[in-house]
Amino acid sequence: MGKVAVITGASQGIGRATAIRLSAEPDITGMALIARSGERLAETREAIGPGTEVELYPYDLADLDGIPDLVRSIRDRFGTIDALCNIAGYAEPKALLDTTTENVMRTYTVNVMAMIVLIREAVRAMQHHPAKILNVASTAGITSRPGWLAYASSKAAVVSLSSTLADELAGSGIKVYTISPGRCATDLRRVLAPEEDMSTIMQPEEVADVIAKLLDDSESILDGQNIIVRKQV
Amino acid sequence: MKTGMIVLAGGIGKRIGRPVPKQFLLLGGNPLIVHVLEKVLGLPEIEEIVITCPASHLDETRALIANHGFGEERFRCVEGGVTRQESVARGLDALEGFDSIVIHEAVRPLVTAEEFRALLDAPDPNAMFGIPIPFTVLKGHEYVEDLLERSELVNVQLPQKFDAALLRAAHDVARRDGVVFTEDASLFYRYADAPVRILPGSDRNLKITVPTDLIIAEAIYADLVGRRVDQPVRD
Repeated sequence: MGKVAVITGASQGIGRATAIRLSAEPDITGMALIARSGERLAETREAIGPGTEVELYPYDLADLDGIPDLVRSIRDRFGTIDALCNIAGYAEPKALLDTTTENVMRTYTVNVMAMIVLIREAVRAMQHHPAKILNVASTAGITSRPGWLAYASSKAAVVSLSSTLADELAGSGIKVYTISPGRCATDLRRVLAPEEDMSTIMQPEEVADVIAKLLDDSESILDGQNIIVRKQV
Repeated sequence: MKTGMIVLAGGIGKRIGRPVPKQFLLLGGNPLIVHVLEKVLGLPEIEEIVITCPASHLDETRALIANHGFGEERFRCVEGGVTRQESVARGLDALEGFDSIVIHEAVRPLVTAEEFRALLDAPDPNAMFGIPIPFTVLKGHEYVEDLLERSELVNVQLPQKFDAALLRAAHDVARRDGVVFTEDASLFYRYADAPVRILPGSDRNLKITVPTDLIIAEAIYADLVGRRVDQPVRD
C-alpha cells in the first residue's frame, strides 16, 4: 500500500524541492501540500509528474486554531498520514531594538507553535502504524546569529522540541528527525542574507535529497538527532 | 564654532537581489547606520546630525532612530536628492547657520569615535581621511593609456569636515557648472580654493559597496568586539 506524505512550505524552496523529490519515490503515492499561496502551490504541482496523487491545501499556519481541521481533512482525503515534513518557515531579521512583538509572535507561531500543533494532530492520525516526522530547523538554531533573534531562537526551539518528541514517541513506532540546513538558496535565505550570491550556496534540491533518504524505510538510526546539512565549500 | 553633521543614507536598494537598502543591512546584528550614529553620541560638539535619505525610507529611518534611542532634538532625517552631491546640498540647507560641517556615510559603519575625534580636533578647518593605495593603478579602458604614480595617490575616505560657508559656495558653483563629484573633498578642492588636510585613515574604515564588503566587515567587527570567529557568522 502506498504512503502519504504531508509537506508544509511546499510552495517554494526546500518544501517545493521536497515535494518534487518525494514524488519520484515509488512508495509515496499521495501528497498533501500546504502553503499560504495557492497559486504557488499549483506551480509545485505542475512540476510533479503523474503517478502521485497530490492535493493542495492553501493555508496560513499562523492560524493555529484551524490546524486540527486541516489535518483531519487530509486524513479523510487520503485515509492515513505516513510522513509529516515540517518545512514551512518565517523570518524577519531585525536588530533587537527594531524587533516588534508582532514579528516575534509570527515567527514563533509559524516556526514553532504551528509545528507542535501539526505534529500533535498528525500523530493522532498516525496512531498504530509506523510513521516518520521530519522537522526542518537551521544551523541558526545552534549558534549565535546577531540580528536574527526571533528566527534563530525559534529554530533552537525546533531542535529542542524535536529531540523531546523523538524520545516521547519512541515507543509508538513514530520516528522524529531533525535537520538543520546551513545556508541554502531559498526565498527565506534571501530575506536573511540579501547580499548573498545564491548560486554559490547549497540548493534546495540537495536538502530534499537528504530528506528523501531520511524518510526512506531503509533509514532507521538517525532519528532523534539534529542532523547538520551544510555544503562544504 | 557651531558644528553640524550630515550622514548620507541615500541607498534605496533597487538593484535585483537587494530588497534591503544598504544602510539597513545588518552588521553584527545592527543596521549599518546605527553603527555610525552610535559613534557620534559621545561627541557633544556635533550639535545636530542630519540624515539624508530617500523619501520612500524617511519613515523607516525615523523609526529606526527612535528605536535605538537617538533623540529627535539632535538627530533629524531629511529627504535626500537624486545624486549624492544633491543630498549633501540638502543636508547643508538643513544645517543653515552652522559654521563647520562633518560629512559621513551610513555605509561606513566601522568608523571609530576616535576618528571623529581626530577630525574634530584637527586644526585645519577642512580635512579628510585618506589611506595609501596598496595596489598599482593605471589609466585606461581597453588598453593602458597612461601610468599613475601610486605614491602620489590617496584613497579618499570619510568622515570629512569643511568650513560650511566655503562648502556651500563650492556646491553652488558645482551646481551652476553642472559638474557632479563622487565625494566632497574633490568638489571642495576644485571650487573652494582652500587646502584640505589629509589625516591618516584606517583600512578598517571600509565602505560597504559590494556583497563581499559585508563579509569582510563582519570579520573586522567580530575582531573589534572580541566575538569568536570559529563559526561562520552568516551560515
